[in-house]
Amino acid sequence: MIPINAVFGLGLVLFFIGLVGVLFRKNLVIMLMSLELLLNGVNVIFAGLSYILKSPRGSIFAIFVIIMAVSEAAVGFALVLSYFRQKKTYDVDELNDLKG
Amino acid sequence: MSSAIIFYFFAALAVVSAVLVILQKNAMHSVLYLAFTVLSVAGVFLSLQAEYLGAIQILVYGGGIVVLYIFVIIIVNLKEIRPEKRKFFPKLSIVALPALLFIQIIHVLFTNRPTPPAGAETGLEFTSLAEMLFSNYLVPFELASILLLAVLIGAIIIARRKLLHDSD
Repeated sequence: MIPINAVFGLGLVLFFIGLVGVLFRKNLVIMLMSLELLLNGVNVIFAGLSYILKSPRGSIFAIFVIIMAVSEAAVGFALVLSYFRQKKTYDVDELNDLKG
Repeated sequence: MSSAIIFYFFAALAVVSAVLVILQKNAMHSVLYLAFTVLSVAGVFLSLQAEYLGAIQILVYGGGIVVLYIFVIIIVNLKEIRPEKRKFFPKLSIVALPALLFIQIIHVLFTNRPTPPAGAETGLEFTSLAEMLFSNYLVPFELASILLLAVLIGAIIIARRKLLHDSD
């Protein structure tokens, strides 16, 4: 039996790493990858609760989270591509076109 | 006991490679470590008896998203990218959020909580998952298909080289 604290710990640590990546990196592609890490951490906690409560509901929720992650990655990459065509950079500090 | 050993093994792999993802300077190296992380998390799912979730993780993440990342990095011309500017002293507001989350992690890890009793659910088998997915969660399932269709069309339109009104 896997202890509940270990599962929560793994999920939270993955979420923490992803959060640090999103906040501290300035490369748009690596920020999107960190978003995937965030969603993976959430999925680990869902799967762990599903395992501990012996209920399939956590797995079903994690499946919907994966669907959202795929959608977010596809639209995010479309935006990154069209942004890169105009600005020739990935750096989010250059994303100041709307600044007055 | 053996499932716990497998869980800890894949958990350690996932954490180490996730740290390596956000430390790489080259985005392509990051993608390779991301693939490693995703496959390790699939191993964690398998050790948690979520076999369907593990298979979906390998197929969708390992087969779909990682390849999408690699294609995008290849499509853009890497020589045209200006180097990333870095600040060594990030703002307090950026540091505060991860610090709070870190305190939360410590709190969760070192709180002893009893294992909750198993509910009156039907168990972890494929059949119960499928029955529940196609009965209780049928409406979200259908909405997810509409979402995927919208994403398919939207991503194509956003990533087009020309805008719609000046394509003719």
